[in-house]
Amino acid sequence: MDSMAAIEIDGLSKDYGSVLANDSLELRVEDGEIFGYLGPNGAGKTTTIRMLLGFIKPTSGTARVLGHDIRDEKALIEAKREIGYLSDEPGFDEQATGTEILDLHASVKGDSRSDELLELFDPPLDRTIREYSRGNVQKLGLVTTFMHDPELVILDEPTSGLDPLMKQRFAEFLRSERDSGVTIFFSSHILSEVRRLCDRVGIIRQGRLVTVEPIETLLMKSGKTVRLSSRTPIPDDLLAIDGISDLETSSPGGTESGAAGSDDGFTECAFTFTGDINELVRTLPEQDLLDCSIEEAPLEDVFMQFYGGESDA
Amino acid sequence: MLEFFSYDLRKRLKGSVYLTVGMSLLTTMMIWVYPSFGDTFEGDELLEAYPPELVQLFDIRTIGSLEGFLAFELYVFGWVILLGLYFAYSAASIIAEDIDRGRMDALLAMPVSRARLLGEKFAALLLPIGLVNVVVPPVVIVGARLIDEPISVADVVAVHLLSIPYLFACAGIGILASVLFDRVSVAQRVALGVTFALFLSESVLTGTAYEAVGAIAPMRYYDPNAVLLDSSWDVIGAGILIGLTAGLLLASGAWFRRKDL
Repeated sequence: MDSMAAIEIDGLSKDYGSVLANDSLELRVEDGEIFGYLGPNGAGKTTTIRMLLGFIKPTSGTARVLGHDIRDEKALIEAKREIGYLSDEPGFDEQATGTEILDLHASVKGDSRSDELLELFDPPLDRTIREYSRGNVQKLGLVTTFMHDPELVILDEPTSGLDPLMKQRFAEFLRSERDSGVTIFFSSHILSEVRRLCDRVGIIRQGRLVTVEPIETLLMKSGKTVRLSSRTPIPDDLLAIDGISDLETSSPGGTESGAAGSDDGFTECAFTFTGDINELVRTLPEQDLLDCSIEEAPLEDVFMQFYGGESDA
Repeated sequence: MLEFFSYDLRKRLKGSVYLTVGMSLLTTMMIWVYPSFGDTFEGDELLEAYPPELVQLFDIRTIGSLEGFLAFELYVFGWVILLGLYFAYSAASIIAEDIDRGRMDALLAMPVSRARLLGEKFAALLLPIGLVNVVVPPVVIVGARLIDEPISVADVVAVHLLSIPYLFACAGIGILASVLFDRVSVAQRVALGVTFALFLSESVLTGTAYEAVGAIAPMRYYDPNAVLLDSSWDVIGAGILIGLTAGLLLASGAWFRRKDL
């Protein structure tokens, strides 16, 4: 066996009878990376996470977290000493104060850094949880997740409930944790958040892992959105290079068309480009351009590739 | 170890004090009304006016003495029924409430086995069960002296001591309901229903061909009348109740460990 990864998922399935929530998942999350587990609500993200923590039992297959088999309760408890977990809807004893919750967590799993964490995320510790807003519960949850300085952190939709400032602070915090060697596995359905944070992503759809890629590869595959605006008509054949898709053209004259332009060409166009950017640039100097923009495709479009059903990776 | 036990002890402190104050007030009232009660009715005059079914249901032997009066009014009614139902109800929320309110994940993400969590939370019932049984006996003994009806100290201590395994057994019914049902309201209703049904099966079926049905009822093994009127302490019954509690706890633990949360 090769070196141990923080999370090794091996044929993991969960069958609820009416729904196959996880279907033979295979995945390795390496030590020290931030792994984004992406999918829309109901895709099976939470099911995977809850199996990894032993809350629900796999129908078949297994997984190892920090080298410990999740089907073995004793082994998993050992692993949990080094795992931080934040659920998608963290819940704490409503009658307790934040301090009482932290004291309980500290007594069970230890506390080496809650002071530092409380400076970053500052839930109102003297108040009872009943009086907490959703955001404050999330902040308290983040403190309990990291207070024992875990090696592996599993976060289910961690930024829900956080305001934009807190989200940014959280992103910086996660990166610094990663830099100090912590492995982070987090689920999300918010793409912008994933691209800011992750080294690699796995996309899950209807219980099946559709793709696992470094975030750059995913962005490259998804291509760039190119917009051109020209003073003189662009001949149709100019853009007959590899890697152009979803071409939309228009001419100020009023002739608009979807796929190909009119006989005279067109003066404005937008398309997704996944080919060699140099080749694209080489074809352009012949044109008298008014405007040209090349942007990363929005991740939503990438997502649609995997959810839309047109392309199966 | 015992972090969840001590956390739950602190959580139960206030409720335990309220419960104990309430039961002490009930006790004081019972003792206070007894003399005027005893004066108005000679011996068991009043009891004879009761429908026999009621007498059997509550296992009333006599109200002609303070012991008999307390055995019925305070111990059968207050301890066997009220507290029995209360602790079954209270234990029913131990696991189910954490699941129902989405708090179980945060607890089990900590390095703790499910069996240990369940065991420690159940054990914390020791506080209310212990406190009420430590505070009320002096109230009974002093109260009895004040109305010039001295009562056997040993019997009063015994009737409380023997109620502890009884109340834990009722709590055992509750904890089983708590792991069987995810919704706390359902778990509580089932625990109340089952406990009350067992009480009825034990008292109504006594003396009938179906008496054996009551053998699984905790109420069969705790008899305040026998303790207070005959000074007969059913130690074997207490042992059976401890066994029953252990059995219910083991079954709950086994189910909880296998369960998908």
